[in-house]
Amino acid sequence: MERHAHAGPMAGARFVDPQVLARIGNLDLVARRVVDGFINGLHRAPHFGASIDFAEHRGYVPGDDIRRLDWRLFARTDKFYLKQYEADTNTNFAVLLDVSKSMSFASEGQVSKIEYARFLAACMGYMANRQRDRVGIVTFDEEIVTYVPPSAKHFDVMLHTLDRAEPVRAGRLRAPLERIAEHFKRRSVVALISDLYEEPEEILEAIKPYRFLGNDIMVFHVLDRAELEFPYRESSRFQDLETGEEVPVVPESLLKQYRELIQGHIESLRAKCAEIRVDYTLVDTSRPLDEALFSYMAHRERTMRVR
Amino acid sequence: MAFLAPLFLIGFAALAVPILVHLIQRERKTPIEFPSLMFVRRIPYQSVQRRRITNWPLFLLRCAAVVLIVLAFSRPFLSQTPVQAALAMSGARDVVILLDRSASMGYGDTWTRAQDEAKRVIDGLGSGDQATLVLFDRNAEENVRATGDATRLRAAVDAAELSSGATRYAPALRLAQSLLSRSTLGQKEVVAITDMQRSGWERPEEIQFPEGTTFTPVSVAPVDPANVSVTSVAFNRARFANEERVTVTAAVTNRGPETVTDVPVTLHIDGIQTGSVRATLPPGVAAPVVFPVFTLAQKFVRGVVRADPDAFAADNTFNFVLSPARPASVVVVTRDGATPAESLYLSAGLSVGAPPAFQVETLPVSKLSSTVLSRASVVVLADVTVPSALGSDLRRFVERGGGVLAVLGDRSNALDAERTLLPGTLAPPKDAVGGRFETLGVIDFSHQALELFKTPKSGDFSGVRFFRYRPITPEPGDTVLARFGDGTVAMVERRIAGGRVIAFGSTLDGDWNDLVLKPVFVPLLHQLTRYLGQVETQPEWQTSGQVVDVTQRVAALTAGGSDARVASAVVLTPSGRRITVGEGGAASSVEVTEQGFYEIRPQGSAASGRPFTLAVNLEASESDLSAMDAQEFTAGATGRASLIGTTVPVDVLPEETERRQSVWWFLLLVGFVLLVAESVLANRLSHKPVPVRP
Repeated sequence: MERHAHAGPMAGARFVDPQVLARIGNLDLVARRVVDGFINGLHRAPHFGASIDFAEHRGYVPGDDIRRLDWRLFARTDKFYLKQYEADTNTNFAVLLDVSKSMSFASEGQVSKIEYARFLAACMGYMANRQRDRVGIVTFDEEIVTYVPPSAKHFDVMLHTLDRAEPVRAGRLRAPLERIAEHFKRRSVVALISDLYEEPEEILEAIKPYRFLGNDIMVFHVLDRAELEFPYRESSRFQDLETGEEVPVVPESLLKQYRELIQGHIESLRAKCAEIRVDYTLVDTSRPLDEALFSYMAHRERTMRVR
Repeated sequence: MAFLAPLFLIGFAALAVPILVHLIQRERKTPIEFPSLMFVRRIPYQSVQRRRITNWPLFLLRCAAVVLIVLAFSRPFLSQTPVQAALAMSGARDVVILLDRSASMGYGDTWTRAQDEAKRVIDGLGSGDQATLVLFDRNAEENVRATGDATRLRAAVDAAELSSGATRYAPALRLAQSLLSRSTLGQKEVVAITDMQRSGWERPEEIQFPEGTTFTPVSVAPVDPANVSVTSVAFNRARFANEERVTVTAAVTNRGPETVTDVPVTLHIDGIQTGSVRATLPPGVAAPVVFPVFTLAQKFVRGVVRADPDAFAADNTFNFVLSPARPASVVVVTRDGATPAESLYLSAGLSVGAPPAFQVETLPVSKLSSTVLSRASVVVLADVTVPSALGSDLRRFVERGGGVLAVLGDRSNALDAERTLLPGTLAPPKDAVGGRFETLGVIDFSHQALELFKTPKSGDFSGVRFFRYRPITPEPGDTVLARFGDGTVAMVERRIAGGRVIAFGSTLDGDWNDLVLKPVFVPLLHQLTRYLGQVETQPEWQTSGQVVDVTQRVAALTAGGSDARVASAVVLTPSGRRITVGEGGAASSVEVTEQGFYEIRPQGSAASGRPFTLAVNLEASESDLSAMDAQEFTAGATGRASLIGTTVPVDVLPEETERRQSVWWFLLLVGFVLLVAESVLANRLSHKPVPVRP
């Protein structure tokens, strides 16, 4: 409660840190040059549509909309060609944020995974909003916690939702994601932010429906440095944040195996996501936020060029 | 470095504590929260045995603290200062080679091996090193003084000869100590080459070599030596038909590990074999061997008992010299008309002995004359009044060297007119107080005549009861030999010219006291008479190393004791050397160091006749070849039980001693500082935040 009261009217301001935005802004400018100077285009519409951006000509086939015939070209060539344009329609951008208890973890001196995820979601939402995209957010743990449908006016709501998101319960991916997928009738850009503590097959099964519906999915695998490197030395009991289960652990004896397992998990996720053309990004909370964003944007840019 | 309390070094076992602490890790009290144990659960739990030491700095800190504290409690001390240690480690060596040449080294090839060992040490000398060769037996002799000339040293070793002396380590070690204390070279070494005879240690010696001296014993002791030796000879003398017949009994000892059978033992008198006996000796047994009797007709008859030679031949021979007994003439003077019973105890006591030590003549005082006095050595006045006419004769007799024993009773008075002959003045006879008796309260056992009774169980005077006595008041110059229990003088001596007069303040007839009934009476009477007559007996043999006053013996035994003593004499040793002693005020004594017979003649006397002869034998202990352990020997020499000992500092000031031991204080301080550091570090590590902030 105190946290909300304190946030007050400035709610969401901390997510758009000026310094972070400055660098993102620079990246934005760079991106604009790359995409021919379109102000609202770091990303493009997933399909062609009515737009002022000419893309290409193609031959007419029966069934095509005759309104798109290029009459000038017909006059010169006596053949029917259709003019195709880049879709300039604003798209939906939705963040699927995992707020399970495990996201509350933070190693010493680092922001917690949930905080980091909030920053990440807010930044991406901000960028999408600047592109006049409709932004929405879904928070979930073992079930859907909040659902903010994408809308051009929902950026503030999104920030408010992010601010309220508190990891308290255990989480699962498949059930809530399957339920949310039902709401994504329109093709959207979906960003899944989670620590993905499930089997890769389960995770893929959870995100496949989005892909099949034509959504462009980005997976942000948020992990703390401690989860990656397991920097513990003392023999201790380790408690699972979500289940409360305790396990005696001699760190030095399992360090090597743990690192192998987590890396195997990451590589497995990366490979499986690549198979279904899902963007997978590992986000280390010890690294700067903008670095993660830049990494994503660069990756995104490359994929757009390939179209 | 050494330790004052080395037992505390057991504390090093405490090193196991930090090792166990570091291997057996404690679990944190509070669990560490982790996002998901999905992967952790897949890894099997590892047991503690497979853990390794993770925090090396903390572990080493703990170990160092334990080590330092244990060392501090063990009280280490530096045997020498670092500067001295550096000096000792560098520079040339000063080696003192102690080469044992005692008679026992003549066993088998022991001496050759010892010489080889000495040469080996000499060959090991480097440039700049120097060595001193010390030959020792009973005494130590610096044969070659500190030199680096190996050729000279080797020649000296080759030229060294065995002696007949007994082994004594102390003089050699002291000489080495003295030599090294003056040495300026950096490294000091003592190499003792010896058969390590146990008998060489008389008592714990306080040998302290200079600091840093290395002591190396080299044992050339034979293994399980077989040795038969003639250790002593006893004589049974008997007079028969005005001749003296002697039976010689020799003690033959087998010190070897095995029984020896039919060992021929022979007796040679003046070079002629007079007897031969075969003896069978079990190991460690001494058996008497009795030879046939022979007649002793001449003075200085040389006898040799010889057992069949073995590996150690020197102790198979035993030499002795015999002369016919020549009893001193004693005149016992009784009152006129006395019954024989009155002088019974005196005459009978003096006649005891085989053969009798004294020739006793008892006669009344009226028969005493200058003629009688002239042939007497000692006159015993048994409670008589000496006629004044005889006073001057008696005085001359004493001045000539004669002795007078004045036994005082009712009739006794001054011996001469001048009253100078009798020691002190006489008081009237006195009875013991209360009808009881007096005893001898004080006896001067340091006096030559009473020295025999000095040791315990050598004569009990406490039981002698005196019922009546004549107190004597001595004069200045008189020597009081004994006092009664009430303090009055019981026996006093006065020396007049060459003679001696002893006054005994009670009778010796069993009337006034019961001394004559006590066992101590005969020895006392003999001792007093021998002292008064200045009777010197020649021992049948001397032991190698003894010092003999030659001139006195020559005077006593060649001139019949009546002539003036000779001033100087010529001594002919068994090896044929001639030594002149007593000439020009030089020492009149000679040390008999060779086994065999020494001949001594007064200088200037005719060479005819048998000369005064001394027989010299090895010391009996030299036949005992049992050797010390090298470690034991080193311990005896240096106070340290190691094969190669390095000595501790000598004459270190208390302040220096304290300073060298004070290192424990520093170690303890550093140990505690490390403990504090350990506490701080351990606390920091235990409070190190868990890398979790849910």
